[in-house]
Amino acid sequence: MRERLPEPQAILQVYAVIVVMLSGWTIAAFLWKMSAWLLILNLGELLAIFSYGMLVNLIESLIVLSFLLALCILLPSRILRDVFVLRGTILSIGVIAAMMVFVVLNMRFGLQTRSSVLIGPFVVILLTALLLGSASKIRWLATGIPWISERLTIFLYILVPLFVILSAYVIFRNIA
Amino acid sequence: MSGLSRRDFLKASAALAASAALGKAARVLSSAHSQSVDRPNILILVFDAMSARHLSLYEYARETTPNLKKFAERSAVYHQHYAAGNFTTPGTASMLTGMYPWTHRAFNYRGMVDRALVRRNIFHLIGNEYTRFAFTQNLWADILLSQFEEDLDFHLPCDSFSQTVHSLVQPDDLGNDRHMAYYAFQDFLNPRVDDSRNFPGSLLIASADLARALATRDTASADYPRGLPTNYDYSYENASVLEGIGRLVQSKLLPSSPYLAYFHLWSPHDPYNARKDFIGIFQEALKLEPKSQHPLAGRSLSEQRLQEYRLEYDEFIADLDSEFGRLISSLESAGVLQNTYVIVTSDHGELFERGEFGHATALMYAPVTHIPLLISAPGQQTRVDVHSLTTNLDLLPTLLHILGKDIPEWVEGTVLPGFGGIEDLSRSIFPMMARDNAAFRPIEHATFSMINGTYELFFFKGYRDYADRFELYNLQEDPNELQDLFGKDITTASQMKDELLEAVSAANRNYQRMKS
Repeated sequence: MRERLPEPQAILQVYAVIVVMLSGWTIAAFLWKMSAWLLILNLGELLAIFSYGMLVNLIESLIVLSFLLALCILLPSRILRDVFVLRGTILSIGVIAAMMVFVVLNMRFGLQTRSSVLIGPFVVILLTALLLGSASKIRWLATGIPWISERLTIFLYILVPLFVILSAYVIFRNIA
Repeated sequence: MSGLSRRDFLKASAALAASAALGKAARVLSSAHSQSVDRPNILILVFDAMSARHLSLYEYARETTPNLKKFAERSAVYHQHYAAGNFTTPGTASMLTGMYPWTHRAFNYRGMVDRALVRRNIFHLIGNEYTRFAFTQNLWADILLSQFEEDLDFHLPCDSFSQTVHSLVQPDDLGNDRHMAYYAFQDFLNPRVDDSRNFPGSLLIASADLARALATRDTASADYPRGLPTNYDYSYENASVLEGIGRLVQSKLLPSSPYLAYFHLWSPHDPYNARKDFIGIFQEALKLEPKSQHPLAGRSLSEQRLQEYRLEYDEFIADLDSEFGRLISSLESAGVLQNTYVIVTSDHGELFERGEFGHATALMYAPVTHIPLLISAPGQQTRVDVHSLTTNLDLLPTLLHILGKDIPEWVEGTVLPGFGGIEDLSRSIFPMMARDNAAFRPIEHATFSMINGTYELFFFKGYRDYADRFELYNLQEDPNELQDLFGKDITTASQMKDELLEAVSAANRNYQRMKS
């Protein structure tokens, strides 16, 4: 089984992309709502909410990563495993961006018209599929995408300890 | 006689009438009390957003509540009962703590009682010799109940008796930290399908919930042409909820007697999704006096649209009333009512006028604060009408008094007339709306209201593009609040204004002192 998985460094790079995108979204939402919360919640309570957010981020990021690793195991290695940094990064960005577009379009138009909220994610998924097919043939993409994911690993040094500490805090709140 | 103002005269007249009625009330209720044992059960039914102004029980033109009227024949019926706030958080918190919103500080959307005051609640004061049970379908009320978790023996999840749950993750799943879990999930991570402007904190949960909502959004059915009743997080049927409550009382609570059970239902809160049997039951249009749009009306709806909403609301009340009738019949058949105080009330009312619809509005006119209160004592078979001014802060001291417990000095309500309380005709009550004001600071941006005798004074303070302003109405002579007397009845206006400003100032001063 281990042979079917990518190198740990490759997994780490792709995981960094996932974590940065998901946490970035959550932190933006947290800051967006904070002005209303400041009317009613104290700092300890704000920390508790943020902790729940980070715990959920940890779980979400592991789910997305597990999905990619499952694909690695299921697909022939030349399709994903051997080019995991490049295609894993594109897939992560594509899947998460499609969700972002879906939610943002819902925030803009609501669910009243299916086409308004579904066309955006569909376009993103189409672009992702195109990139997956062509990225290795386009030099600047083939080098640029792994470079970006490698740079993003720096955030893991901040976010992973934060995940662990804040998740422990949530667990403590629920067993205390 | 020269010192007797018109207002004093009206008060004195009301006092004479009320004292005669209350003498009868006291006799009837003491007779009912004598039939009960030492520790009666207490069953509180709160119907969210039920305005007394829309109940035929209180002379509304449409026959919305035949079953409540029937129940009233064995109850004390309070005719001038007002909520302390105009939406769930302040209204419910005041009922459960016996304090005004400016004291307990739960006056924002999703607000909480001041953390230093959470033991000041009915469940704590009743004590653990009672089995204390709580259930609400209203998530904002559930935040408050979660704050009182330490004083509850049973706290049922909000989605109990529901048909559909819209979100993957619910705060009820995290029982030990329920109120913070509420904020984390319902107010942060989960999307709100009804409010697309909301910025959900979790992409995966939001995408999954929205995808599911897209797949199942056509919720109208043959029985519910407008869709199932919903609190936007769960969908339910009134019949299921009230039948569930009936079963719960008989199978779980009765064996745990004595009990204090608090049931806070979502209906008739919007959306007003009545069952098909109740749609179209009110054919005749109401003859209502038109009211001009108020500058602080958030929606600026046309009179026609407001009347459509009003009709749907009335139909939904009739639907709920029908199920309430079935619940009372089943409890009566099971003998539950012989040893149980049954209290029926609401947390706030609903408004369809001046361009505004709903309740959490700057417009605190009577339909949004005037709520029903019926209390049926164990074995009571006679109706008693109480016309004196009461507020939902009074429920807590009344229950303590009934059970022979001491009433703490911090309680701001008084024992209800008819249950040991004396009628105080000089009493003032202070409903308020301060949803945009920080809970930790003095209140400077709010609509304050003060009711005294037959008069109601409003103080709109701190609204943007709207100069601070007072309005005064005589609720007896002008129940529709059309004639602003503030510049006309100078004596009354001046007296009430001084009293209200002093009360606001004291509340702000007290809170600052308490926090320091």
